[in-house]
Formats: sequence, structure tokens, C-alpha cells
Amino acid sequence: MKEQSKIPTSKVQRAARFVKTGAKVGGNYVKHYAKKAVNPKLTKEGLHSDNARDIYNSLSELKGSALKVAQMMSMDKNMLPTAYQDKFSMAQYSAPPLSYPLVVKTFQQHFKKSPSEIYDVFTKNAVNAASIGQVHKARQGDKQLAVKIQYPGVANSVRSDLKLVRPFAVRLMNLNEKDLDHYMEEVETKLIEETDYKLEVRRSIEISKACRHIPNLRFPQYYPELSSDRVITMDWMEGHILKEYIKTNPSQEDRNKVGQAMWDFYDYQIHTLRQVHADPHPGNFIINKDAELGVIDFGCVKEIPDEFYDPYFSLIRKDMLTADDTLMNTFKQLQFIYDNDSEADKVYFSGIIKEMMALLGKPFHQEEFDFGDDNYFQQIFFLGEEISASKKFRESEKARGARDGLYINRTYFGLYNILNELKAKVRTTKPEWAEKIAV
Amino acid sequence: MAKAKTATSPEEKIKKAYVDYVLEHGTKPPSIFKFVKELKIKEEVFYDSFNSFENVEKHIWLGLFQETINRLHSDEVFAEYSVREKLLAFFYTWIEVLKTQRSFILETLPKGQKPDLKPAYLMAVRDAFKEFVTDLMLEAKETEEVKTRPYISDRYEDAIWVQFLFLINFWIKDESIGFEKTDAAIEKSVNLAFDLMGTGPLDTMLDFGKFLFQNR
Repeated sequence: MKEQSKIPTSKVQRAARFVKTGAKVGGNYVKHYAKKAVNPKLTKEGLHSDNARDIYNSLSELKGSALKVAQMMSMDKNMLPTAYQDKFSMAQYSAPPLSYPLVVKTFQQHFKKSPSEIYDVFTKNAVNAASIGQVHKARQGDKQLAVKIQYPGVANSVRSDLKLVRPFAVRLMNLNEKDLDHYMEEVETKLIEETDYKLEVRRSIEISKACRHIPNLRFPQYYPELSSDRVITMDWMEGHILKEYIKTNPSQEDRNKVGQAMWDFYDYQIHTLRQVHADPHPGNFIINKDAELGVIDFGCVKEIPDEFYDPYFSLIRKDMLTADDTLMNTFKQLQFIYDNDSEADKVYFSGIIKEMMALLGKPFHQEEFDFGDDNYFQQIFFLGEEISASKKFRESEKARGARDGLYINRTYFGLYNILNELKAKVRTTKPEWAEKIAV
Repeated sequence: MAKAKTATSPEEKIKKAYVDYVLEHGTKPPSIFKFVKELKIKEEVFYDSFNSFENVEKHIWLGLFQETINRLHSDEVFAEYSVREKLLAFFYTWIEVLKTQRSFILETLPKGQKPDLKPAYLMAVRDAFKEFVTDLMLEAKETEEVKTRPYISDRYEDAIWVQFLFLINFWIKDESIGFEKTDAAIEKSVNLAFDLMGTGPLDTMLDFGKFLFQNR
């Protein structure tokens, strides 16, 4: 893996595989160094933001799964420089729209009627872009509806799109190729599932029913008779998306309320339902003026198998971190460590992973946790930096970490990030079995 | 004219019978004589409307085209569309209409030929289509959706005709479920066409070049 160790210089060349963007990104570097020659104090922030813009632009032209990967990368704050991250989280909100005739055609195909025949009012232009589709606002009687329509051919293009982002993912996420294969399969199955709107409607109804008892949580009603493989009709949710909500400067009390609803929602899904809305993207939550949390978009649901759940969540018990033998076994179950690793590797990897678990498990070790604590996130960030800069991790021949962990980690990262942005203080409830032993 | 049992004109009847024949036998009828005999009409009735099977095919295609135009105009929003949307709507509807006759089309299409800009079976459609596009282009120039350029803008119709042929061929080879890929091809190719025909960097470049040339 020689080429992996000389990253900085080849960054431009490697990105060039993605022809168009590559050229632009290269141009940005040239621009950057030209500017730098004049002004030596210039930092790389500007460069990163130029790059992010160009990469984002070409990814959003690709639509579909590439956009999805962009979103996913944007989730893990500590994996990307801030500028990349901000740009990528836009993916949720803006992408070139589908033409209205195609929308009509999709409706004709699935319902044998045009949208204007089905709804009383139907906006000709999309009000929002979802990653693999777009959202139109509609009205039927006195009901405000959101109608999500999928781009044609997305399901077919998932595979080829993923191949296209591959070299990018290697660069941007600093993963090694082994890891990537290991995870790409998981991503692929999830993405293909996400293109199945019928499945999404079924799951949305299931999960929203199961979580109805949680306070301050709202779900839109779904209309299966107005939904199909490519169209979903649901209630329109009034309110702000998370970022806008935070801009309205809500009171601490409201922040905690929203944060708590969020926590309870995830806690219940992971530990009781064992299937989770694995896309805690800020754009998937809508908060109304009563500080109630609305959840939309159940495209990405991860079912948690027992053989993953048991070892993984045993790690949140504080006593686990000192029980070395059991811990080693657990790490092996989770594929952090393999039997044929050298002793030195075993010590190294288990050390880092222990540190990571202690850090990520911290909210669970207390009754109440203040997610507004930026110090805590700095720590996570530094640890993430350390891991992604670590030669040992990148050059490891084996993928580290069970693939089921990909979406679970992403879920927790997303959840923590959102709670951090909310600056919420949350009673961190633990699953019952952990309650008995923990602390 | 002979009064058919149903209200359909003999022309329609012949077209329908021809399609049925091809679908059932997997080949064109051997002769007009045999064909009209099976259909139980007089040969001169056939010649009243057509002069050959090729001619019948031409009219079947033209019928599909007119069906498309009728469907478009029956949708009241069509008139409100921008020209880009109108062309998109046309292609989507066209492919929808073609779908109803896919087996027949696959059967009768000349196979293994080089791409032909003026395929015989589309000659009647070509005239009608050009008329349709010419109207669209006039409207587009008015709304400035496309830019008038010397020489080139007169050829826009031809370019769109090539696109039309391309999309038919694409659809014929398309094996995706519900012809989703054809939908994507339509969306992308029409957008490209209009982006090219609209004002773009080339125009600005040309303009700048002209300025430099004049002000040397």
C-alpha cells in the first residue's frame, strides 16, 4: 500500500479520477497556491470550501446514491474538514429538480391519473429535494400533504454510482480499501432498500405506531393508497428543520425537550424495537413551535441482529472497560481484533478501541448528560483525527469493526451531533439490562 | 364506402387487422390479396386508403403520433408549460403511447440496419413532428428559451428529429423495468438540448471574440 502513505501530494491526482471534479479541484489547488504565494498567511479553509463546492456540484449532478454517500460523509463530522462537512449537509436541501412532465408521467404510470386529478392542489415545482427524490406540496380537502417522488432509474444506478464514488470515499474518508469493500456492500444493500418506497411506507407506519407513546414526538400520517414504488404521500409537517430551528434561538428548556424526545426515540428503537431510523440527518427532523419533534423519512432503517447487539452494547457498561478477558472476546466478536493478529497489534487496536468506547459510552455512564459540552466533542474529534491519521489503521490488511456497526455508529454519530447542535441536556436512559449492572 | 359493422372507418379496420396479423403470425402478410380476403373486404377498399403494406405501417405510426398529440392537448396544464416542459411531456407521452404497440413495433422494425435519419416507416410522422417542433421553436424563440443564432438556429428542428430517433432506438433496446432508463434518457437529453440551444458560455465567448476583433 505504498501509494497510501504519500497522501498530501497525490490528493489532487487521485481525485482526478473523477474527471470533471478532479480537474476543478486541481484548479482550486493551483488557485490556492497562487494566492498563497502572494499571501503566505492564507490557510487551507478557503481551499477546502472551494473543493467541497465542486465535489458537491458534481455529486449532485449524479443524483441518487452518490448524493447519498455525500450525505453520509457529512454525518461524520470528525471525518471531514468543517468546510466539506457544511457543504455536504446541503445535499439534503438542494439538488437539480425533476421536470414536471416527468412527475406527471410517474403519476400516470403508478396511479393512471395525473397529480392534478388526485390532489386538489399540487405544486408544479418541488419544494424540497430528498436524496433520491423530491418533495412536492399538495392539498386534498383540508389536508396538507407532502408528496415524495423518486427519480427514475435510481435503483438501477446505485451500483454503478457507488463504483464512481469509491475513489473519492477512499480519499475523503481516509479509509483503507479493505474497509471500504467491507462497508460498501452494507451501504449498497441499504441504498437499494431505500429505493423501495413501498417498504419505506410499511416501515414508517410500523415504527411510528410503535413509538407513538413517546412524549413530544410526532409522526406524519402515511397514505398507502396514494403511495407506490416511486411515490409516497404523507402529511405535511409544519415547523422548522433543525438548523433553522436553532437559528430561532429557542430557550434551553425547549432545547432539552427536543433533545429528550430525540434521545427517547432512539433509545426505544435501538433497545426495544431493535430496528432503527438510521438516518439521523438534521434534514429529517422538523420541529414545531411547541418544541415537538417531527420525524420524517424512514428510507434507511437498520435492523439490529442479536449477534451484533449483544457484544456491541455490552461495551457501554462501565465495568466492561476494566474486564480484560471478556473485553478481548467481545472485540473479536465485533471484528475489531482477529485471532491471527500479532500481539503488538492486539494491544494497539484494543487500546484505541477501548479509549473510543469509553468516550462514546460516556453519556451512558451518567444519569444526565449535557450534549452542549463542546469539550466532549473536541475529544471525540481528536480521537477521530488520531484514528484517521493512524498508519496502522489505514494499512491494516483487515477491516476493523463489524459491518453492522457502520449504520449503528452512523446513527450514534448523527444523534450526538444533533444533540450537540441543539445544546441539549438529556436524561440518558439506559436499556433495562444495563441499568442493573452499570455505574 | 362499405359500411363496417362497427363504427370504425375501413382505414382503421385495415390498420387494426394488419397489426393483429403481424402479432399473430410474427410476419407481414404474404400479399395484399390474401390479407383482404381474410379481412373480408374488397381489394379496392384497401387501395382506397393505402397502396402498400409499407404505407399501412406509415399510417399506424402516424396514428400513434396523433394519439400522442391528442393526449397532450387533453391535459389542460399542457398549455401552461414552458417549451422545455412541452417537449419533455411530448416524449414521455410518446413513449407511453408506443408502449401500447411495443410488440408490433419490435416485430416490424427493420432489423440490423445502419442508423437511418429518414426511416421509411416514420416518413409521415416526420412531417407531422417537424410541424409540431417548428411551432415549439417559434414559441421558444419568443420566450427566449432558445437563442436565435445565424445558420444554426434553422437546424434546431433537425437536431430534435435526431433526438427523436435516438429516443425511439433507446427505448427499443431498453430492458429496465417500466422503461425507467428511457425516462432518464428523455429527461437528460431534453435538458441538454435546451441548455445547448439557450444562451450559453459559447455565445458570450463569441460576443467577446467579436468585440476583441473589432477593437484591436
